[in-house]
Amino acid sequence: VRFLRRRGELELQGDREEAAALASVVGQLLRLLTDDDATPSDDPLAALVGLSVTDARRPDDPALARLFPDAYDTSTPEGESAAGDFRRFTEADLRAGKRANADAVLESLAALAEDGRRVALDDAAAEAWLGCLNDVRLVLGTRLEVTEDTYDEMASLRRDDPRSALLLLYAQLGYLQEALLECLDGG
Amino acid sequence: VTAPAELDRPEVDEVVDQDRPWVAIVWNDPVNLMSYVTHVLMQLFGYSRSEAHRLMLAVHHEGRAVVSNGTREQMEHDVARLHAKGLWATLQQD
Repeated sequence: VRFLRRRGELELQGDREEAAALASVVGQLLRLLTDDDATPSDDPLAALVGLSVTDARRPDDPALARLFPDAYDTSTPEGESAAGDFRRFTEADLRAGKRANADAVLESLAALAEDGRRVALDDAAAEAWLGCLNDVRLVLGTRLEVTEDTYDEMASLRRDDPRSALLLLYAQLGYLQEALLECLDGG
Repeated sequence: VTAPAELDRPEVDEVVDQDRPWVAIVWNDPVNLMSYVTHVLMQLFGYSRSEAHRLMLAVHHEGRAVVSNGTREQMEHDVARLHAKGLWATLQQD
């Protein structure tokens, strides 16, 4: 798929196969964000005010830990405790926001698959795309343990390297996000 | 009509030190695109493109940059917004 500005309007273009391939990747992100979902709070006070109090622990999965990072330096007990409090009161919203972005992306991909050629993206949809592409890249990048030299190293990657297909996807999503940013910022 | 209950206000145990504000810090990571970090800093904090670009380069070259400062509550809010955008951010007292 690709982004294009036509008469001032942002458009997502692509064919059904491209839409399906990307929807599959975004669907995996959505599953990652959902499977690990926090159990609803038993705290009656929290339930009363609708606060979703989540587990204060840093996720064990490095990719989830990157999507939901510690807000404080946790090398001290005070920092550990403050990071836990922060997580308890912000992580549910953070997770919901990322899920909403992924849902919006899947919605425009479904529309693209239906039309088969192009679909218009408003400002909100464009921001959802930007955030969702970033989240997918964060997950892939963490799993692949990319560094700032990864793009340079890709050129010398052996074809049979088990990482090559995912690294290619990672690079393609990077180009896609960059293209969207150029459309948005005119940069 | 009603009146608010009298509450024993807890002693404020955090001395507000005007000279030591809290800061929000963005840390370098190998995934986020330079153009994306610049976009987010402009969007969240209203920085001009050149200022956001300068801060992004500081993150890239020095490993971290202070992007905002204020009260602890304000910085928690800013860090939450940065996390929502996928930037790696923490807060601390300066």
